Amino acid sequence: MTRAQKLNVVGFAALIVLLFAFPYLGTSGYQVSLASTVLIAAILAATVNFLAGDGGMGSLGHGAIAAAAAYGAGWSSLQGHSITMQVVVAMGTGIVVTLAYGLLSMRTNGIYFLMVTLAVGMVIYGLAYRLSSVTRGENGITGIQRPEMLAEPWAFYLFVVASFLVVTLVLLVVSRSPFGAGLRGVRDSESRMRSLGYYVPAFKLVAFMISGTIASYAGLLSVWHTHFVSPSSAEVHRSVLLFVMVILGGLGTTLGPLVGATIVVLVENVVSNSMERWPTLLGVIFVLAILFARAGLVGSTAKLVRRMRQRRAGAGPDDAAELTDVPPTSGTTTSVRP
Amino acid sequence: MKSTTTSAHRRLGALMSLGAAAALVLAACAPASSSDPTTPASDPTTSDAAPSDDANGETPAGEGGTLKVGYISPITGNFAIAGQEMVDGWNLFWEINGSEAGGVTVETIVEDDAGNPELSLTKARKLVESDGVDVVVGPLLANTALATAAYTSSVGVPNLHPVAAADDLTQREANDLTLRTGSMSGSQMNYPGGVWAAEEGHKTAVTLCPDYAFGWESCAGFKQGFEQNGGEVVSQIWYPNGTSDFATYVSQIQAANADIAFVVTAGGAPGPDFLRSFMGLGLTDSQDLVMNCCGMDQATLRALGDEVLGFKSISYWAEGRQSPVVEEFNNAYAERYEGKIPSANVAGGYMTASLVAKVLEENGLVTGEDLVAAIGDASFEDSVLGKVSWDEYNNTVGSVYIREVQERDGKLYNVPIREFNDVDQWLGLDPDEAMARETYSQSFQG
Repeated sequence: MTRAQKLNVVGFAALIVLLFAFPYLGTSGYQVSLASTVLIAAILAATVNFLAGDGGMGSLGHGAIAAAAAYGAGWSSLQGHSITMQVVVAMGTGIVVTLAYGLLSMRTNGIYFLMVTLAVGMVIYGLAYRLSSVTRGENGITGIQRPEMLAEPWAFYLFVVASFLVVTLVLLVVSRSPFGAGLRGVRDSESRMRSLGYYVPAFKLVAFMISGTIASYAGLLSVWHTHFVSPSSAEVHRSVLLFVMVILGGLGTTLGPLVGATIVVLVENVVSNSMERWPTLLGVIFVLAILFARAGLVGSTAKLVRRMRQRRAGAGPDDAAELTDVPPTSGTTTSVRP
Repeated sequence: MKSTTTSAHRRLGALMSLGAAAALVLAACAPASSSDPTTPASDPTTSDAAPSDDANGETPAGEGGTLKVGYISPITGNFAIAGQEMVDGWNLFWEINGSEAGGVTVETIVEDDAGNPELSLTKARKLVESDGVDVVVGPLLANTALATAAYTSSVGVPNLHPVAAADDLTQREANDLTLRTGSMSGSQMNYPGGVWAAEEGHKTAVTLCPDYAFGWESCAGFKQGFEQNGGEVVSQIWYPNGTSDFATYVSQIQAANADIAFVVTAGGAPGPDFLRSFMGLGLTDSQDLVMNCCGMDQATLRALGDEVLGFKSISYWAEGRQSPVVEEFNNAYAERYEGKIPSANVAGGYMTASLVAKVLEENGLVTGEDLVAAIGDASFEDSVLGKVSWDEYNNTVGSVYIREVQERDGKLYNVPIREFNDVDQWLGLDPDEAMARETYSQSFQG
């Protein structure tokens, strides 16, 4: 396995170098800005991925959390606050909204959790749409500026890359911590965790707060990127696309969100230039992934590599182990602890 | 143990997949541009403005150079029909007149934004930074238009708006590079309706508008026109977007017992839906009614047929106006689109194209602020929208028509019965005074 680990490290290092070098590879301003869009979407998808992969909580409200933070920045910019103040207001709005989500949803699971987050998301969308004195209604808020030092597109891109790496690292650390183990325990069996003496809602609330805070940060980044926020960023459609990204990439995988976000954003922004029925293409990709790569692109590739390696090792009797590792109907990464 | 936990997890995965799949299916099923079977087969996403454009490869471009136009419109998603019409209007003009004006070849790149402002922005970036367009036209919806205008003005590229109605586009967010070319702002286009209603002798009015920016602006325009001329709006009713059953709203209109009812929709299904309820409750003869541009557009006339004969509405576009320009436009459109009569969206696209052509003919190739300035100075004695010029905030100053549905050659037209000329966007106020007020909402109607 050391070889596989080495490969992983080299792969990650190459990815990081590639990400940082991207603006210097003769790319146009448009491509750099598109890459920023991908990475911001990937950060947001990573928060959904963390919550669903480690916590077993599928949220349909993360788009709205990010939008709430974006509106915080927008409102604050309308009041003429300084950039620092805008960041504070944006993050504050996002965190308060996250807390509301968390408190409402921490005692639910499965479809009920999905429904509660969907409902709160709709409330935020409704407010954005109707509370025009604060949000300017459907017109949205324009002219939101980012800090001077990030004004250049490439500077902003590098900042987004750094943010993406930090967020990925933080989520990885949280996931590997005792708290992360507890969270997976909650995901696998709430009743078992309860009987072991854990207070399950607290786990869920903390996980939601971590995820929501990062989602707020992604919302802030996106408003810095587009200089604009309108109710459409709080639409359910946005949250659903986050899920599509996560599932395409691979639920519970570290790089899944990035891969999923790349596919979705590129189909939305680039394929649509030359193909009229791009929403259909996105749907077809999604259906194919569900049918043939249930662990997502990253998850399935990892499985495939593992299986090929086992086969090369020629361990016939190991087939049994392989079977339990990859159950035929396994939905997603099912790392079940005994 | 293991099997239960696995299956719980799997269930969640399946659940989420199911939800996401359902949503995607919905999105994919939404009409793509050619949801309209009557649209010609030409692929609009790659459409270079006109068939005659194909000749570009053989004959060198006009001596005056090439004006590259990026055209953003929602040709997929919920607004696909309106978005496609906006593109059709633009293409139609160049098909009729050839894609050359004043020696300048006009080359169009159409991009789809699906009605999503983030997508509009990336598309605008792509057009400007990657394709190097000289001017961006569109998009259609208020929020997408405002987002795009903010970007294009920051990079010094002109942005023309054939359909977008948001007041702020040419008021609080106005700038030297953004023009409304083919329509009017929401309050502007309905203000004369209020004036007309008051002049007709109506003392009281009730309004019914959708509960978001376009509805607020439209109702505010009507209300101010009506009240400045001695009328009184006794009740304002708001309905959420997506309403399909208007029975309760119609009873509220009935209960308000006002002389005239003013009803706004943003186009699409709500117009026919409202009218069916209205006629179903037997109010056709007992309640005076005037609708806005989009509640009584050609889609509504086609849906309801003779039942709506004699119904009145207010718009800057009247397909039944007796004018050579309008007739030429109507005929050309009908010829290509199976006898259909063009809507305001088509007219907006066509108007924008004729404006660009006019400016190019008079000035040769102009770009950037010169293009905007040239358009600002332009005026039409008679265009498809009537007499039009542009104010210093780059908004149209033009005619608004009170229209009545009439039959002509077996087809239904909105025929003007009263015309207001040189209507500007200030509703009788001073520009600074108008912009110092808060933006319209349910609670502030001017």
